[in-house]
Amino acid sequence: MTTINLDFAEELKEYSDDTALECFNCGTCAAICPLVHDNFPRRMIRYIQVGAREKILENSDELWRCLHCGLCTHTCPREADPGEIILGLKRFVVANWRRS
Amino acid sequence: MTEKNTDNKKVGVYICYCGGNISDHVDVEEVKKRAEKMPNVVVARTNMFMCSDPGQELIINDLKSGKIDRVVVASCAPSLHEATFRDAIKRAGSNPFIYEHANIREQVSWVHHGEPATDKATILIASAAAKANLLTPLDPIRVEAKKHTTVIGGGIAGIKTAIDIAQTGINVALIEKSSLLGGQLNNLDKLAPSGEKASEVLQELLDQILTHKSITIHTDCEIEAVQGYVGNFSLSISKKSDNKIEKLNIETGAIVMATGAIPYIPFDGEFGFGQHEQVITLQNLIQILKNNKSTGSILEVNGKRIRNIVMIHCVGSRQIPGIHQPKEDGKLNEYCSRTCCAAMLNASNQIKENFPATRIYEMYRDIRTYGRGQEELYTQASANKVVFMRYEANAQPEVSLTRDSDYPFQVKVKDSLTFNEEMDVPADLVVLATGIEPDDVSGLASMMKLPIGTDKFLLEVHPKLRPVEFPITGIFLAGTCQAPMDVGEACNAAGAAAVKASALLRKGFIELDPFVAEVNPNKCQGHGACIEACLKEGALTLVEVDIDGKTVKRAQVTAAMCLGCGACAAVCPEKAIDINGWALKQYEDMVDAIVSDGFAV
Repeated sequence: MTTINLDFAEELKEYSDDTALECFNCGTCAAICPLVHDNFPRRMIRYIQVGAREKILENSDELWRCLHCGLCTHTCPREADPGEIILGLKRFVVANWRRS
Repeated sequence: MTEKNTDNKKVGVYICYCGGNISDHVDVEEVKKRAEKMPNVVVARTNMFMCSDPGQELIINDLKSGKIDRVVVASCAPSLHEATFRDAIKRAGSNPFIYEHANIREQVSWVHHGEPATDKATILIASAAAKANLLTPLDPIRVEAKKHTTVIGGGIAGIKTAIDIAQTGINVALIEKSSLLGGQLNNLDKLAPSGEKASEVLQELLDQILTHKSITIHTDCEIEAVQGYVGNFSLSISKKSDNKIEKLNIETGAIVMATGAIPYIPFDGEFGFGQHEQVITLQNLIQILKNNKSTGSILEVNGKRIRNIVMIHCVGSRQIPGIHQPKEDGKLNEYCSRTCCAAMLNASNQIKENFPATRIYEMYRDIRTYGRGQEELYTQASANKVVFMRYEANAQPEVSLTRDSDYPFQVKVKDSLTFNEEMDVPADLVVLATGIEPDDVSGLASMMKLPIGTDKFLLEVHPKLRPVEFPITGIFLAGTCQAPMDVGEACNAAGAAAVKASALLRKGFIELDPFVAEVNPNKCQGHGACIEACLKEGALTLVEVDIDGKTVKRAQVTAAMCLGCGACAAVCPEKAIDINGWALKQYEDMVDAIVSDGFAV
């Protein structure tokens, strides 16, 4: 069970461009991702959309599997720029890691 | 009076290829040869399309030259072209009821193949020819019709129907049970999807209806009784005014039901409704937005700042047996209310565009933005950063009060867009997308014998082909008494019902099919069995007549009310009553033709 953090999108602006809400959950990014990891990076982007801040911190090791090949950003039909979002999440996690 | 049929008639048989639809499976030329040998058949012809002009000409020429005096067409289902061929016969100067139809497409070529198909086509034609031999010319029943229509219900559908009928020169009485015209429109604000103000739409129509000389408006009225038949209905009405009840009577030619629908009211405790004042319905939210004067960047309701709204879709709609809680009468609303998705998105967009700091989470089962301009509302809501979460019917969101949060509610949802993970969404306000429910008009419906569907909405004759008519001739329906509709759809239906009613009454008389019961006065002994068997109250009565100085009872048919069902003919011990165009002897000869082996060889 996760409690939604309504201010998360605002908090994230410091680390990443505000493009996650462009995503309409098509799953193209997860299909093209060569890491063959379950629903990556789609799930992370969804967590941002709904404000599941704690879920991102809990599953943050997933983020470091990303090689930044750019395929997801290249194929995203909504130009939500998933690659840049993942990079932003890394910055967010690092910043919060030290704090906790 | 039916003409006695003693001599054998000259029957012409016209067999259609239907461009291969029939002839691919039925040997049409072989059927023609067999038909030529049938009793009383004087000519049999074939054509690629009998319904085409050259096909119809074959029939018209044979009738005009006196070669034939009875017609059988073997083609598609009579629902398609019976009227076409009756019309051709009329143009040849003959009576259109000397016609019989054999359906050799739907009942033969589309379901049988090869020799059995050819044999069955032959048998159906033999049976039709046997009946044609006994057909007599009939005249349509002519009923005088009052050029007056009564519209029941003063909502948008009723008002629009009344105006459209009045514009064709027919007088209208509009009956409304409350003291106010406009119905549910009085409770709406900016209409989805195009954003017109409901009050302006209503005012435009009120300006027209209140000044129209041919429309009489009766508010605070209840209908107590409806009698009569098409062209001649009679309504007894009681009108409340100044604590006294006034009776009035309206004589009218046609009736339009526009009795509307009501919003679904959640039961006590449904998503916290009735227990917390910050759990409200869609209709409540529309009222709040209508009257809201706050100017800041955040919506305020009852003086409270609304930081986050959770909206729950499909409340009281699309209910599933075994999952949703039925009402006391066991009723579930299994239908989709259709209007709530667009109305919710419309409200969300208004909130986000005026109060951008208020956040919105919409929890839906499916978003059904089905109409023109509605999908754009969804796209707009996405652009306005409304967050959508999707729940399954068997895992409804749960609304509960919080203890240690500064938000009063948390809504637990299993979000299938986040891979079925469970989440708690904090909220200041919960809005339930309550749908549309049928109003209880069972009293009126039983007075007029109108059918009600399993969903408790009034039921039309045919959902596609006759959507604004009841099976009772002269009674129509429009608007949300039939199904959930938005304002535009209700006005569409109103326009259609108005045209139907006007076309019916325009001539001042109505011609009905002559297939009704007729009593043979020489045989009737006044037993009254037919009256007991009759399904339609008032269609058959016993009247006193003088015969040889004695007063005796005899059955009498009111042709305009007779349904032509034949229940009377089945029970008469004297065989003194029969149905014109579908007489017992005609049936007997049809059956004889079917069971005789002679034709299909």
